Formats: sequence, C-alpha cells, structure tokens
Amino acid sequence: MPTINEKISEEIRAQAKKLLAEGTVAAVIGYASGSLPMTVKPLVVRRPEDCGKLLWNTFCVLNLANFLPEVLKSVEPPRGPRDPKPEGPLPKVAIMATGCWSRNIVVQIQEHQVERERVVVMGVGSRGMVSRRKVEALFAGREILAVEELDHDLIVRGSGFEEKINRWSVVRDNCQTCTHPDPLLVDVRIGEPVSDRKNPNPFKQVDELEAKSAAERWGWFTSEFATCIRCYACRNACPLCYCPTCFVDDAKPQWVGKSLDATDTGLFHVMRAYHCAGRCTDCGACESVCPMGINMRLLTKKLNKDVLNLYGIEAGMQPDSPLPLTTYKINDPQKFIVTEAGAGKEGE
Amino acid sequence: MTSKTNETSQTNWEPKIIAFLCNWCSYAGADLAGVSRFQYPPNIRIVRVPCSGRVSENMILSALKSGADGILVSGCHPGDCHYISGNYFARRRFALLGNLLDFIGIEPGRVNFSWVSAAEGEQFAEVVRTVTEKVKELGPATRLVKKIEAMQAA
Amino acid sequence: MKVFKISQAELDNMVALWSQSRKVYRPAVGRQQQAQPDYGPGWRKAEGASPLTVPIGPAAGSVKTFLFPQPETMMTYSLKTGDPDRGLMKEPAKLTESQVVVGLRPCDARSVLLNNLPFREDPFYQANLERTVFVGFTCDESLSTCFCEQMGGSPLDSDGLDIAFSRAENGYLAEILTPKGEELMAGLNLAPAANSDITALADRRKERPGKDTAILNTMQGKDLNKLYEAPLWQPLGDSCINCGACTFICPTCYCFDIQDEVVKGSGRRIRYWDSCMFPLYSLHTTGHNPRGRKLQRTRNRFMHKLKYFPERFGPFSCVGCGRCVQDCPVNIDIREVMADLLTVE
Repeated sequence: MPTINEKISEEIRAQAKKLLAEGTVAAVIGYASGSLPMTVKPLVVRRPEDCGKLLWNTFCVLNLANFLPEVLKSVEPPRGPRDPKPEGPLPKVAIMATGCWSRNIVVQIQEHQVERERVVVMGVGSRGMVSRRKVEALFAGREILAVEELDHDLIVRGSGFEEKINRWSVVRDNCQTCTHPDPLLVDVRIGEPVSDRKNPNPFKQVDELEAKSAAERWGWFTSEFATCIRCYACRNACPLCYCPTCFVDDAKPQWVGKSLDATDTGLFHVMRAYHCAGRCTDCGACESVCPMGINMRLLTKKLNKDVLNLYGIEAGMQPDSPLPLTTYKINDPQKFIVTEAGAGKEGE
Repeated sequence: MTSKTNETSQTNWEPKIIAFLCNWCSYAGADLAGVSRFQYPPNIRIVRVPCSGRVSENMILSALKSGADGILVSGCHPGDCHYISGNYFARRRFALLGNLLDFIGIEPGRVNFSWVSAAEGEQFAEVVRTVTEKVKELGPATRLVKKIEAMQAA
Repeated sequence: MKVFKISQAELDNMVALWSQSRKVYRPAVGRQQQAQPDYGPGWRKAEGASPLTVPIGPAAGSVKTFLFPQPETMMTYSLKTGDPDRGLMKEPAKLTESQVVVGLRPCDARSVLLNNLPFREDPFYQANLERTVFVGFTCDESLSTCFCEQMGGSPLDSDGLDIAFSRAENGYLAEILTPKGEELMAGLNLAPAANSDITALADRRKERPGKDTAILNTMQGKDLNKLYEAPLWQPLGDSCINCGACTFICPTCYCFDIQDEVVKGSGRRIRYWDSCMFPLYSLHTTGHNPRGRKLQRTRNRFMHKLKYFPERFGPFSCVGCGRCVQDCPVNIDIREVMADLLTVE
C-alpha cells in the first residue's frame, strides 16, 4: 500500500503535469530525490515531461518560497534593466507550499517581492519534516546508507544494521512546535488538509533560556555560535533574505567584520535574526541547512515570541494587514523606556 | 593619566556612552540642559540623528562592537515626532532589539532608550545620570566588543 | 624512510610528549567538542591524555585552516593620534612556532600539495607550511561519500604527510617520510617495524592502487566551450542557493579577499576566505558583475575545480573528501556533476 507521502507525490506529479501542459504556469517549483539518504534536491520543472522527477517526502526541509522571486523573474520575457514591463499578464509559477512556506509567500506578497496573481500555490498539509541531524545523532559513529519512510516510522539501514525509529521523535523542533501546518494560501489542494495543532507553549525552548541569568545566556550564545564558519547558508536558505547587498557586504561603514572572530560572528547572527523580526514563520530552513548544526533558530523564535506577545501578530497569517514593523499603535507597550514609571524588560 | 590606565584601572574608569539623539527633541533637550547649566556626567558622546526612527540596529551594535560601554537612544515623546510617526516605528524596533540583546546575554542597562522633549533640559540631565550610573555599575563592556590585539596572536 | 611499529598507548604518549613543546591539534569529535574549537571550527588541542581517535572519513574541519587561516593578518598599523608610527604599515612578525596536526586523512594531506600550486610563491602560505608537521592516518574504511580514488588520490596514500600511520596488527605502522617528521620523532625509543608488516602494507597498497587519471584525461580532452554551455548547469543554477558552505568546508577552495579592520585606533589588514558563490566576489567597481546570475556562479565553482585548475596546474582541484556532498543544503553532488560533464560531447 502506498504511504501518505507516496500518494502526495503522485498527486503532485499529476497536477504539475496538468498545469504545465495546459500552459497555466511556465514552471513548477518542487523537489526531486537526492543522492544521499535523507536528502532532496529543489527542482524547477519547466516541461511537462520532466514532472516525473517530482516527489514529496519527510525530508523536504528547505523552504521552496526562497526560490520563488528568482524563478518568477526567470520565466519573464528577457528585457534590459531600464526596459518597461511588458504589457499583459506575465507567466505564472506553481510552487509546493506547506503552512510555513505559504506564510512566507504571504510575506513576500506583502513586501512586494511576489505578485499574488502570478503564483499558483500547490498546498500540502505538513506532517512535520525530519531532521537529518537528529537521525544521524541517533546513529553516531555508524554511517547511514539508506532510510525508508513509512507513515509513522523510519527504517534506517547501514552496513550491518537495520533499525526502525519513530518518525515523530526525529521531526525538527520547529515542526514539533508548529501550530499551523496547513497552508494558508491554496490554489491547488494536494492530499488531505491538516488541522491546526494545539500547542500549550510553542516557545518552550525560548522560555527555558529566558529563565537563565544573563551570564548563562551569554555563555549559551558564545558557545552555540563558536562553530560558525560564516558560509551564510542560514541567510541564503531564508526566503526573507533577498537584499541585493547584505549588511555583511557593506565595507564603508563595515558593520560586521568578515573573518572568523567571535564578536563578528555573534553580531552577524544577531543582525540576521533581527532583520527577520516580524517576518519569520519559523520554517526552520536556516537551522536545517547549517553545515555546523548551529541552532540559530532560537534567536528568531525569541523575536517571534515577542512580536506575538507585544503586537499580537504572527508573520504571514494576516495577508491583508501590514507587517508588524511597518505599522504601529499609539499605545504600543513601552516599559523598556528608561523614563517610564516601573521601567524594565519589555513584555514582563 | 594615559588612556590605558583609564581603561584598565577599575577605580578611575569612566564609561563612554554613545548617545543617539534626535535632532528635534532630545538633541535640543541636551542643548537646553547645557544653557540652563543642569549638571550631568560628561560620559556621553552625542551623535545627532534626524529622528529616532533613523537609528538602525546596525548603528547600535556597531557602537557596542567598537567598545562603547553604554548606549542611549533618545527621541521625541510618542505623538511629538517631527516626522509624525518616526518614533512610533522606532519604538517597536527598539522594544524587539532590546529584548533580543537581553536574550543573548547583553547586560540589562547597557543599551537604553528614552524619550526627551526639547523643553525637558532637567529630564535630559536626569536620564544621563541614570544611564551613567547603571553603566558604571556594570563596568566596562566586554560582550560583543571587538578586540584586534587579541586576534593577531590567533 | 624509517618505519616503526607503534601501539595505541605509544601513540598517545607521543602526542602527550609533542604537546609539551608545541601546539598539537586533532579533529574534534562530536558536537560538544566542535562547539569549543581551539583552532578554527573542527580542531581541538591534543594533549595525549585521552586516546586519540580519528573518525572514519575526513575530519569535520578541513586542514586548510592551518596553512590558509581565516583570517591571516598581513599588515598591522596604528591610527592613534600622537603615535609616531601613525599610518605606517608594518608586517607582523612571522609565526615560526612549530605546530603539529594529528589525524588528517590522505585526502586532506593531498589538499596541502594541491593548494601549494597556486600558493607556491605566497609568503604566508609557505611560512605556515614550513612550521606545520602533518601526522596522518591512512583509511581502512571509507564513507559512502568518499571518492578520492576518482580524483587521483588513494585511501592508503601518504602524499603530503610528514608521518603516515597505517593500521597494523595490534597498533600502527608509522612511516617517517620527511625531515620534519624525523625531527618530530627524534629521541623516541621505538621498535622498528617487522618486514612482514611492511610487506603487508605494500601489498595492501598494490591492491588499491587508486590515483586514477582516467577521468582527468577524459576531462582534459573535453572542449571547454562545450562544457561551459552544457545544459546541465540550468538545474544546478536553479537549485543552488549560493551560500558558501561548499567552498568553506572544501579543503582545496583557496579564494580570498582582503579587508582592513580598525578598532580603537589599531588596525590590521586581513586576508579572509571568500567564495565564488557570493555575488560580491566578482562585482566590479563599475557595478558590472560578470557573474551576476546564480547559474554563472555555480558553474564557475565546478569549472574551476574540474577544468580551469587542471588546465593550469595539472590535477583536479578536488581531493574527493566528500564534505560538500554531505553538507550541501540542496544536495548538489560533485560526483553527479562530474559524471554529467563527462557525457558532454
């Protein structure tokens, strides 16, 4: 019997083929199989006959919305930088999207990076994606050669071993605490909708750190980011990071030094996270792609918590209202102002 | 006294505090404090900015990186912004930045935010006194401060 | 060449002895150690107190960090008012202190030789090479991502090492290959290896000759323009996110940029790792970028490793360690790229 994800894959291939063959879209952004166990390759399909390569599984950790602005541009008729936009509608692009990815597309629309009418969202309810690092940590010292996915379990094989592990136990932290797994925007529904999850405290990890002293938190921060090699995979995997020139590349003034220095690395991560304030959907791509396994997601999670508590906004959930940092309320909390009566930490 | 002993000896140490003051209110407030001869500690170095909304996190973090012991960002009171709403936007950004810096373990009191109007000379002096006292208690900044000498040996 | 038979205990004693007079580094094993690096991500000081274990496959951090450090201080200067040397560029004192890197694999050892081709006249690289002793371990087992043999290396090879350890019965065979290696072993009272052990190792090497040049020759025969315009780059350019993970973990990527850093009046001119994946890398002052698109940048990395570098220097600029294969966020697999390139007619 085919698994849930095999059925979804089948549906994706059929729908993508239909959209491309009908000429509704010029490209479909999806996933193809990877060369190693637990990996997948992002794939842009431009011809109906290539749709057979598309698939869906539990290892689709990279956020496909990251590719959307560039692919949209690539299907436009070529024109010079000063040429006017051609008349009439531009070609559309279809994209697979789970809850968080669809919210990122909403943010991209709010920030005018993407036009809603040019996107066909193939919505897939997410059952949580598996963290390759978590699985590898379970098999430390043994190389994993193949992983087979069942609906609720994974069968992990290597030379001389075969073990069954529970799938949910190795699902990424951000998926485990996710409350909106079903896509917000759906043009073409793939598979069954997934209902919202109840989570008494999605910010548990943040709360635990907040309960510690400033010195302990500083200790956590410095050791967590000590291994950073400044490859910027976290930045480049993020659908929110589309600036043509990143602040790290500014030379005058040089906000952040570019070599391996604890201060520069720390500053880079603080600034990167802060630039995602009010926009991050906790898709976990940054953490999943880090070659050093750094949990930088906690920084954006902290910001998400504050944005929700102080301004009552979750990024990408309200397509019609402005982003939290592009608006304000006259009576926004301001306990952090030193001249306020009872001044202190904001939000406490 | 050389600057070296100034930095190293705890008893004589005086903090350097970078103050980003908006042109229309807080900078004028500092001016008023001056002409009215209100006393406040000489530890602040003022950077005049058009609006508190102009102050980006890059500026604040850059000051910390360069060795500022404390930061003060001050703008017009909410509702009084010369550009109507600049400080309202700034308020949201500063609230989040302050909390994020606190989260990574920057000592509370290192980075401070206030509202001071052009008529509040005495209040400006009071804010500077409060902030300087707080920073003095914390001692010289070490977190997120870049040190070049130490790097060369690596 | 001297060959000694060494037990695990003797090896640990040797590491302990070396670490008394020099800095000795070994690969960090596991997440906890990697979070506390002593030299670049992935390397820890070795004290010899705990048994030295070398993980299968390449170490987490590549060895280039010792020869091509991130960053390298090239010049220092002062901008302080009143300093008589204000504004004068000074060369920092050359580091001459000997350091030992223990636990690298043949792939990384070979990268030292490959990087030496472009850096052969680079004073900084050469100074670091001079003061570093490489103690490596040949591979009995490899990972599924290892492909050194395709790239002209071999898992049992000792090229680029000063001392090579190979697994033997109840311990290791230590081959002392260079004067630097001899100096390190001087004064140690060790048992010479039995002839039977030496022949056994030689036989194993014969069984796995590696150093395959067939792929290199085929690639050399391909027309550069055809490879450049091959359709295979389109999907790679689509999926690549242009991060620098592959270039920074790669032992043979050696591109750098130079910048000045000034803090409180003391300045330094540093050379730090750059990546051809970043748009800034090829951006001209005019604003023109000859590699302005993702596809062009992705193509450049592979063309450089597999075509431009061999045309200039001979071998591929890839040792087949497989780090990029393991860690690429979008699973761009250089083995697949190479296979695709070989089919281009």
